[in-house]
Amino acid sequence: MSAGVPEGCAHSVCMVSDFFYPNMGGVESHVYQLSQCLIERGHKVLVVTHAYGQRKGVRYLTNGLKVYYLPLKVMYNQSTATTLFHSLPLLRYIFVRERVTIVHAHSSFSAMAHDALFHAKTMGLRTVFTDHSLFGFADVSSVLTNKLLTVSLCDTNHIICVSYTSKENTVLRAALDPRIVSVIPNAVDPTDFTPDMSKRDDATITIVVVSRLVYRKGIDLLSGIIPELCQKYPELHFLVGGEGPKRIILEEVRERYQLHDRVRLLGALEHQDVRNVLVQGHIFLNTSLTEAFCMAIVEAASCGLQVVSTRVGGIPEVLPEDLIILCEPSVKSLCDGLEKAIAQLRAGTLPSPETVHNKVKTFYTWRNIAERTEKVYDRVADEVVLPMDERLNRLMSHCGPVTGYIFALFAVLNFLFLAFLRWMTPDSVIDVAIDATGPKSAWTKQYFLGKKRKR
Amino acid sequence: MEERRYRSASGGPIALRARQHSASCRELAVRCPRLQLRSLSAVTSAVWLAAYGLFVLSQNSMVLSAAIFITLIGLIIYLHFVKIDQESLLVIGSLGIQVTSSYASGKESTTFIEMSRVKDVVINEAIHMQKVIYYLCILLQDPGDPQGVSEVVPLFQSSKPRLDCLIEVYKSCQEILEQRKTTPPSNGIK
Repeated sequence: MSAGVPEGCAHSVCMVSDFFYPNMGGVESHVYQLSQCLIERGHKVLVVTHAYGQRKGVRYLTNGLKVYYLPLKVMYNQSTATTLFHSLPLLRYIFVRERVTIVHAHSSFSAMAHDALFHAKTMGLRTVFTDHSLFGFADVSSVLTNKLLTVSLCDTNHIICVSYTSKENTVLRAALDPRIVSVIPNAVDPTDFTPDMSKRDDATITIVVVSRLVYRKGIDLLSGIIPELCQKYPELHFLVGGEGPKRIILEEVRERYQLHDRVRLLGALEHQDVRNVLVQGHIFLNTSLTEAFCMAIVEAASCGLQVVSTRVGGIPEVLPEDLIILCEPSVKSLCDGLEKAIAQLRAGTLPSPETVHNKVKTFYTWRNIAERTEKVYDRVADEVVLPMDERLNRLMSHCGPVTGYIFALFAVLNFLFLAFLRWMTPDSVIDVAIDATGPKSAWTKQYFLGKKRKR
Repeated sequence: MEERRYRSASGGPIALRARQHSASCRELAVRCPRLQLRSLSAVTSAVWLAAYGLFVLSQNSMVLSAAIFITLIGLIIYLHFVKIDQESLLVIGSLGIQVTSSYASGKESTTFIEMSRVKDVVINEAIHMQKVIYYLCILLQDPGDPQGVSEVVPLFQSSKPRLDCLIEVYKSCQEILEQRKTTPPSNGIK
């Protein structure tokens, strides 16, 4: 797999997102893991983000992943302020010196990602956008972000969503043609979620629930299941990780049925603690009423737990039938499912955690994700970038009379600004950077040890 | 002695002059173009015309004399503290590295770094004024920690040569630094 791609097909990809390490979170690890796997496949990848405290300038991470920490002002929640123009000089310089062919922006909350898309389109580069989040349609803030997304995505070459629900959501929000939207799920790092039999207490049966305690996650169902099953099975224990407004219901149930020793509420969990909670259980219960792509059940299955879940949204697609027991979202059906799992556990007919883990770890790997992303890049590379006049037409026809004209004006101004910058510092004056990754990679371990970069 | 023409990061012409004094002693000088009479007269006439406009409006002759003084003082400061004509690097394998910058007024500022403190000479990248440029720098050895770097001394800060020129300088510096590593140190100089 690491043989990589033939020389001619290698892309030079620039990942742009406000969110990157040292900040921690889902988008950050997605960008990092995807970049690493694309490097392994022989592409040239660099990451552009904003400066985090003292971490600014140019840095190199594992395998020569080059990261530009640009000195841009952070406005809110690690997202930079956007004026649509001020980041053009630096981004243009980077795109030119690194000979970028595809700009891949991440997360709709990142202002820098939208700026980069805007500039890349002005410069005639191909653009890909990955949406990591679901939005509503009702309140003012989501109406505004949806409008912004419509403008930003109407002339983007390709959009990637992490699940089919997310795809539907994005297509509706941004009024897109569904044909240019692909679904590529997130992956789990299987080495983070390994089974550990020693943490289990085999005298009891423990059911683990890890989710935010909100209505959407079906906590009301859980409050019906707990007393019913606890009456039937005296050795049954519940372990609930997560925090939310529905916590009060679970506490009420615990109080009413005197289950303090058998129902443990752990409160909010850090991501790195999730595995330690999961390995303490035998059965994982997911009661979601709606779910785009349930990461939690993949993580649980990777830890070797038997998964019982509701049959909603994209969940039936996530795991094969022998690893998951699917139920209707009702107390009765979920209880039946859990009883079935408990019976299997007692009879010892469940597959061992190790075999489950070995099976699950092949499902959602970053290498597979990278391969699929690469296909998107290949497709985008064959497409044409809209010339300026068509882009203006698109903006005016797609984004409504007022917004459309305003952003068309911005696009023209951006183009003029770019022309001015090209006159000030022509492309020929910009040094071509030495590739750290990709086909002409200059990266070796000795090189790095000899040239310790420090600033 | 040879002179080669290159360009700076902002596109202006610069010249690299390399002089080989001996096998382990080499001088590398980057020369910027001198102050052009054209730009000097343009700036002067701009200031004076603006002052004359103010004078016409305010009818105060102080404006004119102030403009003359501003031009003169500005020119002196520019030539003495800002405009660097030549930046040179004298690498002596057994002794150290001398960095000299000569200002347009003839003033010279020199720093000398002992060879024992020099860890390496490298090319690095930095974000500078809405640009990402390559620059050459000397890494200084951390006295406490043989692997660590205590300080980074950037070179050719005013002329900012492009990568092709930097590679040229880098190679000749490395040649001499290599000799230092292969020949055993003598006379107490490590």
